[in-house]
Amino acid sequence: MTAFLRLVLAIALCGLTPAHAMESMRGILDAVRATPTPAAAPPEATATNVAAAATPVATPTPEPTVEPPRPSKGQQPPVVRVNVAAQAPNFMQPWRKNPRTIRQGLGVVLMDGRILVTAELVADHIDVELEKPDTALKAAAQVEVVDYDANLALLAAPSADFLQSIPGARLDESVSVGDRVEVMQLEPNGRPVTTPATVTTIEVGPYPVDENAFLVFKLSVPLQTRENSFTIPALKDGRLVGLVMRYSPATQTADLVPAPVIAQFLRAAAKQPYAGFPRAGLTFSDTRDPQLRRFASLPEGTGGAYVTKVLPGSPADAAGVKAGDVLLSVDGRAIDQDGNYEDERFGKISLAHYVSTALQAGQKIPIVVWRDGAEVTLEGTLAPRDRSRMISQPYIFDRDPDYVVVGGVVFSELSRQFLREFGRGWQEDAPLKLLYLDRFQSELPPDRGRIVFISGVLSSPNNIGYEGLGFEVVEEINGKPIRSLADVAAAVDNPEGPYHRIRLAEDPGLLVLDVDGSKADEERIKQQYGLESLRHLESQD
Amino acid sequence: MPHRALYLPVAMFILCTASLSQGAVAPAASMVRIEVTSQQPDYTSPWSPGSIGAGVGAGFVISGNRIMTNAHVVSNGTFISVLKEGDPNPWEARVLHVAHDCDLAILEVYDASFFEGTKPLEFGGVPALESEVSVYGYPIGGDRLSVTRGIVSRIDFQPYSHSAVDSHLAIQIDAAINPGNSGGPVMQDGKVVGVAFQGFRGDVAQNVGYMIPTPVAKRFLKDVEDGSYDRYMDLAATYFPLLNPAQRSALGLTDENGGVLVGSVFDGGASQGKLQPGDVILSVDGTKVFADGKIDMDGERVEMAEIFEGKFKGDKTELEILRDGKPEKVTLEMTRPWPFEMQAKGYDKRPRYVVVGGLVFQPLDRNFLETRKEVRPRMRYFFDNYVSDHIYRGHPEVIVLSDVLRDPVNTYARPFADNIVSKINGKEVRTLQDVAAAFAEEGQFHVVELLGEGRPIVLDRAALPEAEERIRQRYGVTNPQNL
Repeated sequence: MTAFLRLVLAIALCGLTPAHAMESMRGILDAVRATPTPAAAPPEATATNVAAAATPVATPTPEPTVEPPRPSKGQQPPVVRVNVAAQAPNFMQPWRKNPRTIRQGLGVVLMDGRILVTAELVADHIDVELEKPDTALKAAAQVEVVDYDANLALLAAPSADFLQSIPGARLDESVSVGDRVEVMQLEPNGRPVTTPATVTTIEVGPYPVDENAFLVFKLSVPLQTRENSFTIPALKDGRLVGLVMRYSPATQTADLVPAPVIAQFLRAAAKQPYAGFPRAGLTFSDTRDPQLRRFASLPEGTGGAYVTKVLPGSPADAAGVKAGDVLLSVDGRAIDQDGNYEDERFGKISLAHYVSTALQAGQKIPIVVWRDGAEVTLEGTLAPRDRSRMISQPYIFDRDPDYVVVGGVVFSELSRQFLREFGRGWQEDAPLKLLYLDRFQSELPPDRGRIVFISGVLSSPNNIGYEGLGFEVVEEINGKPIRSLADVAAAVDNPEGPYHRIRLAEDPGLLVLDVDGSKADEERIKQQYGLESLRHLESQD
Repeated sequence: MPHRALYLPVAMFILCTASLSQGAVAPAASMVRIEVTSQQPDYTSPWSPGSIGAGVGAGFVISGNRIMTNAHVVSNGTFISVLKEGDPNPWEARVLHVAHDCDLAILEVYDASFFEGTKPLEFGGVPALESEVSVYGYPIGGDRLSVTRGIVSRIDFQPYSHSAVDSHLAIQIDAAINPGNSGGPVMQDGKVVGVAFQGFRGDVAQNVGYMIPTPVAKRFLKDVEDGSYDRYMDLAATYFPLLNPAQRSALGLTDENGGVLVGSVFDGGASQGKLQPGDVILSVDGTKVFADGKIDMDGERVEMAEIFEGKFKGDKTELEILRDGKPEKVTLEMTRPWPFEMQAKGYDKRPRYVVVGGLVFQPLDRNFLETRKEVRPRMRYFFDNYVSDHIYRGHPEVIVLSDVLRDPVNTYARPFADNIVSKINGKEVRTLQDVAAAFAEEGQFHVVELLGEGRPIVLDRAALPEAEERIRQRYGVTNPQNL
């Protein structure tokens, strides 16, 4: 039984040829400073980031194109090298870290002196370093804002002087299908090399980290393997068109985080605290099926998208949109049978783009739906997605996972980041029950709370007999329902009598730990297994 | 069952004409060559009669003019003929009893004069480790009776691959057991000590063959004494060792009284209404259960489950339990819980289905699933955790929209294939009968709701009669349903 693969695109992009294998064939442009390509880059190391993409390039040199890559002349390009040391925590043993990785990318210097990169470049960073392409001068940088949904981050330079000789780039949001753009990379000596590219498709598609969909530009471009594998900028007449977030050497196509998404990110980043992109909180399907249209008594010839799900507590929910409604218009934009609206620049494109990228959080918008054979006008207030309500987080970066160890029994909260620890085949190999709960979390009761489970047992005298446990969902401890690790901590801090009674949702159903014995084991467990603390409750509220 | 995927039922894919033998080997007068024409049901087109195949296996004459062989030799058989040594004529036979859960079957020959000149074999006991045994059968490599010799390498509980879900005692021997050996007797001192039944593919392991030992064969014979086979009984509850001192004392146990913890109790089984999660089983039929789940049986430490191996339908089992710290006695009446069947391979039955407007509905089970190259996560969960997460309570049958037979009437329904059905025409779908009944409801549309899909599939009933006729002709759906 094989897994159902959600991101087919992601799979197409993986490759394993080591970067240095290509050196001999392409001496001139390739890495003198050969740095290993990040082996465990976040979050889908093998699949979705540009690191994996930049590595393979199975053919030595692309077929000669009409316009071969050429060194740029004249002015300094608006880029700076960004070198990141990163280390992700190990969600299986949450007190441990996975191996350190080094990632290198290009940052685009913006007009205000901040530096734009993809979020993947800086995920779980320990150290972020800027390096001037011409002088190789280095300085530490700060990550100011990061948005993993939109795969974008802003870095602050240590001082305005540092970037003095580098001009800032403006955004070009006017690009449309068929336009010629240039993808910029740097030679080892710092000279920019640009590769001509054509915008072939503009559509709403999945982004690497979550299953969020935003605008994507697809480029046809023969890119070569270079040391700066993350965040390759695409420019048009010196203006920023987008950042490459995925590259497929097989088809020579690159996916860009395009300028409209970058612009929306910069608008959101102007406000503190950063809240993210507005979302409506609903999913829809097309209404092309004439039988479905007759069933919903939709008049012939009209548009409308069939609402399939409304997230509880979302703006759509607050506005009163219900599953089974047909969306006729949003903010005055008519919705067609495919859920597209007519965009001035891109033509027909998914409503998801309009809501997330053209509108602003806090904005009130009219929503017209078809319900029971009549039009109903609702009003919604857009807001970013409230992740705290999610039962299983789709990603966790830049913080250590929470855990509680009681008598050597390790309690964790379910997240997709945990499931990904099962490696490339995690959708097959991770425990089926947990996979199911993560994947279909939107079908669980909204007040379910988080899913706490036993992620392992650190053998000690008091937990004898429990060695074989793993991945059982915890329902109750000492009579208290468990909806978070904070609940676990509170429940074990207040035992009734000499035992902790841990009730599991599945076999064997009941675990018992001796309260005093578990306490007595604590020091030994910390020392033997190298735990600094038996608890980490950073993200508990 | 870690090796489940590696098992290859020693099946029978060689077909040849009758063989003649003046064989002088010992049990020649008891040996039977079994030739079977079979029809494998086609779960991808459940209305189709299925593909026809043929195979050869072995069997041996036992008392009462009966022939014993493996269930997998005769499963899905449409025509069975048997040949005895020294007689060129095939005789038509039929299955008298079949036990898919322990891979055994008993055949009878329509014309009882077949048994003239044959000699029924007797069953012995469990052979000792390292003792020598002989395997008789008609394996690949020739037509005539073959005999191979080996020693008993291991006696242990093993998964029986024929049903994919059952485990019983099995004896491993180092004699070659190959396709065509299936059902043949394994002899020692002139008595049957086993029935050859499964092995590994040659690229997995060599000189590893398995035989069904006599306790299993004798149990089968005893079970069918009343004229029908009732299968193995089960506690229908999970239980766990109680080795943790805190866990023991919190449950009111001391070091002396052993006991195992009841985890889950499944519906439709002997324990339903009798045991509860959290109970501690202290003894079974007066035999003490140790904290590791083992019992003493005939001077040997064996799994507690072995007690249930010897039970028959309706037998009583006395349990001493501790519930909330208080000792209690419960009496179980043994039965086979129905939720277990869904994960077992099924034989000798036609696929069940309903087709409406080209939408094909089938119950999820192992036979159905084995036709799928890819199984979507929800279906994988519903199958694997059907028993353990008590999914059977809400879905006695998990009904899948398994296919959409392309037709103008269902053009837009195609992407929804391989989803689990929740409602049809507003009615909850819990069985295939529910599907048929829901489609019989009045209305302008048929509305099919699927788990996790927010948009229903809608079929305009006005367009259906024409479409049904078209689909019947194009796809050869001779019967719109088999419930």
